[in-house]
Amino acid sequence: MRLYDDVKKEYDSLNKAEFEPIDKDKKIYDKKFDTKPIGYFKDAMIRFSKNRTNVVATIILLILVMLAIFVPILTTKNYTQQQTQLAHLPPRVPILSRFGIMDGSANVVAQTINPDNYNEEFDVFYPDNYFPEFIIWETVENYFDNCSRIAEICVGGEVVLRTQRSTDTQMSITARSTFMVSTTDGISVNVDVSDIIGSNTKLDVILVSGNEDYVIGTIDRPGMHSFNPFDNPDLPDTAWSTYRIKLVMHAEATANRVVLNSVSVTDASLDEPVVLNEGFSLANFQVSSSGLINRQNAQIMRANFKYMAYESALREARDTLSNDDYYELMEQYADECKWDPETGLGGDPDPNATSRHARIFPPECPIIRTTGRSSMLPDPRNPGEFVYDYFVVIDYQRALGFETTPYFFFGTTNAGHDLFALTWVALRTSLLIGLVVAVINITVGIIYGSISGYYGGKVDLLMERFSEIISRIPWLVLLSIFYALIGPGALTLILILIVSGWIGVASVTRTQFYRYKGREYVLASRTLGAKDSRLIFRHILPNGIGTIITASVLMIPGVIFTEAALSYLGFGIGHGQSFRLFGLIELSGVSIGVLLADGRNEMIDKPYLTLFPAIIISILMITFNMFGNALRDAFNPSLRGSE
Amino acid sequence: MLRYTAVRTVWIIVILVTILSMNFVILQSAPEYPPPTPDDRDMYYDRQVADGYFTVRVERDPEIVRALSENDESVYVRNPRNFYQRNPRQGPVEFYRIYEPVPIATQYVRWVRNIVVDWNWGLSTRVAPNTPVFEVLMSRIPITMQLNLLALFFYIPIGFALGIVAALRKDGLIDNFVTLFVMIFISIPSFVVMLFLVLIFGYQLEWLPTQFPTADAVGMIRFTGLVLPVLGLAFQPIASLTRVTRAELTEVLTSEFLLLARTKGLTRPQSIVRHAMRNSMVPLVPGIIFSFVGLLSGSVIIETIYGIPGTGRVFIRAMALNNYDYNLILGTTAFYTIIGLFAVLLVDLSYGIVDPRIRMGAKK
Repeated sequence: MRLYDDVKKEYDSLNKAEFEPIDKDKKIYDKKFDTKPIGYFKDAMIRFSKNRTNVVATIILLILVMLAIFVPILTTKNYTQQQTQLAHLPPRVPILSRFGIMDGSANVVAQTINPDNYNEEFDVFYPDNYFPEFIIWETVENYFDNCSRIAEICVGGEVVLRTQRSTDTQMSITARSTFMVSTTDGISVNVDVSDIIGSNTKLDVILVSGNEDYVIGTIDRPGMHSFNPFDNPDLPDTAWSTYRIKLVMHAEATANRVVLNSVSVTDASLDEPVVLNEGFSLANFQVSSSGLINRQNAQIMRANFKYMAYESALREARDTLSNDDYYELMEQYADECKWDPETGLGGDPDPNATSRHARIFPPECPIIRTTGRSSMLPDPRNPGEFVYDYFVVIDYQRALGFETTPYFFFGTTNAGHDLFALTWVALRTSLLIGLVVAVINITVGIIYGSISGYYGGKVDLLMERFSEIISRIPWLVLLSIFYALIGPGALTLILILIVSGWIGVASVTRTQFYRYKGREYVLASRTLGAKDSRLIFRHILPNGIGTIITASVLMIPGVIFTEAALSYLGFGIGHGQSFRLFGLIELSGVSIGVLLADGRNEMIDKPYLTLFPAIIISILMITFNMFGNALRDAFNPSLRGSE
Repeated sequence: MLRYTAVRTVWIIVILVTILSMNFVILQSAPEYPPPTPDDRDMYYDRQVADGYFTVRVERDPEIVRALSENDESVYVRNPRNFYQRNPRQGPVEFYRIYEPVPIATQYVRWVRNIVVDWNWGLSTRVAPNTPVFEVLMSRIPITMQLNLLALFFYIPIGFALGIVAALRKDGLIDNFVTLFVMIFISIPSFVVMLFLVLIFGYQLEWLPTQFPTADAVGMIRFTGLVLPVLGLAFQPIASLTRVTRAELTEVLTSEFLLLARTKGLTRPQSIVRHAMRNSMVPLVPGIIFSFVGLLSGSVIIETIYGIPGTGRVFIRAMALNNYDYNLILGTTAFYTIIGLFAVLLVDLSYGIVDPRIRMGAKK
């Protein structure tokens, strides 16, 4: 420790002339800080931007919001009108399509083939409703699937007979066609039974001739059974008479069954059977009202393949246009399609001229040629007007206004809407509903929480009990009440979301009030005569607002989630609805939940209808949560790292 | 403690009665949807009379009978809340039975009496006409409970394990992975996760069924059919349990009593298992109890996606637009409300059991 005495020696030894006093005659005032003060929000901002992951999440969130705002405005593709020609197109993305990913080829799966549609080169069958020129033949796979329908397309299998009601003791099946034999020698009726279930279950084989039944044999065990019909002396044994096969099953219970493989009639002198009933033709026998007939183990051929959906949708094809559509198109392409007297190409200059309506159009026109026109019928809705159809060959690509094959990034929906644009429209709806509900909840919550927290005591106790009851109402109860009273729609949705949504904000606000209301500055203001409202809104609330707002931001993803879930279940908004919020913002009835519900039944061959909206809402929720957490951490450093 | 328990129990019952009463009164004031077929309808209204919600009188006045059968509104205007039963149903009309609802306050009193005395929740009208609601629910509850309990027993160990590993290896590679996983799965709605699962494992890879197998399915498919819904239900709870476990354990690991335990000679694993884990459990138990309620209400939508014939599905069916089955809605919501409030009670009481330091309602 240095004492003054020690220093004094040192000080005295210094040369005084080397020192001179500065600012001796100046007055010194407080200086202004050169650096700017770091305020509450700036401090939060700095902390917020330090965490790089959160900044990235925030940027992605902003991009999503921007896309939701601008894509619906800027897109050239249709997302409002129904265009059946463009329905069910798979995603097609530039660049990626060159590598065979999302190149616009549709995966067609499990389509039942038509046996008449056969491609010899690749030895495959293909279904109806697909144009052979757009099928990618290398990818066609035929396979067999189980089938229990009584339809001709299902082949093979067995036929199960059983009685219908427990009171029935027998049932019968009768062939729909008759047969005729030219001789009475060497004829046998063969019944191939694969199984008989239940004791005392028997099958009578009967030939019907005219209105008479002639029993020719009885079967009580499985196996191949052959009967000579002319062993029955009663059967009229004249050649050239017609017979019909009838089988009668005697069963004691509905669980008793007879399983048949085939029923045939053979002639020893012929190689082929006279009659062969198996599979469909056997299942197609006429059944008596007391019985049921089922097929089992039958097979149906299906095909999986890739299909050039864009080329197919935008092909040149024959079509029938109503006069309205025709003239709308002619007006739209007035220059390209107009009649040119020199070349003789183009539309009819006089629509009422019934002659010369088969014409060829210039190459720029979407209509290639018209082949005729239907007769004119009076329009039932507009008296004096006529309705008629033009038969045309049309280039859909040009008729739909595309110069080249279009790119639908996310594919198109059942109604031919561009899913990419629609997803952003849906996101916009979801975000707006989230925002509106959040604003309402925050307002209500702040007011409620302020009153409860500021006054405390009995008021607080009562208000707390009330909000506890409200918060304990399960969402199913809310849903049932509002749905039964109002029906589906945006109002129901918003009401469900705000009934208990404000409670979180209220409790945060209440805590903040408890924290600040006892501070000296509040006491000072009160002493100066400030009213309650002034204390609440000018002094206490601004101090707690950061915490309250961050708690509220975290509410928005919750609201979006609930909205999506309810709309998915069909209790929220839906297609065709459009509604105004407070008369200001017009929303379409499409939200992410609605899009997901649309794709629900088509997950097997059109997974993109579910996949893209699901990915977008997932990214939105993840980034929104990260943004909210980052905001909370930034405003409340003591919470750092508790997540 | 006894006083606290009693107060909480009474309070929970008050909330329960409030919610159910409100639901009953509001649903009763909405337009009625009786069973669709005439036979069922007659039976249903007779039962309503027996239960005390309706009164019945016979109208033989030929003028009114004629007006009713010809729908002549100048003589007699039908009240939409009444039910007019034509007798006999075919042939010339002889008389009408008119079923009239009693005032809603009386209905409410009788409803409470029916439930308390006879445990009679009324008849289903549309989903299973004239079947007691309680029976309908009892046939559905096992499958829902099975599913949710499976999800519960599936997610708790995984959530704990992930949370513990992340906390012990804080800021390591595993921790970062776990944090990322938590962030993703806590954000994505469970039904979107379910859609992804069905899309990937059901339709694309074809490993698991895309729909819940029917009741008569046999063999492996009964087991494989449970995998996707359990996963779909469990992802979000796993993420939140992991997050809370990690946070709690991290906090306890840095606390001084743990340092003391180490200085006294315990190894790190010993100190973690004996001291850190037990202390971090305290806030987790209520979370787990609440999560079961969350699972249960979340399973409504999972059941709809996967076609599981549980209580959630029956609720959605009872809510079909303009085909409402109010009694069934009341019964189902009562089921969910009771379970939810029971969980609240359990949580309130469990604080004292898990952590003896907390003595709820004790005098200071």
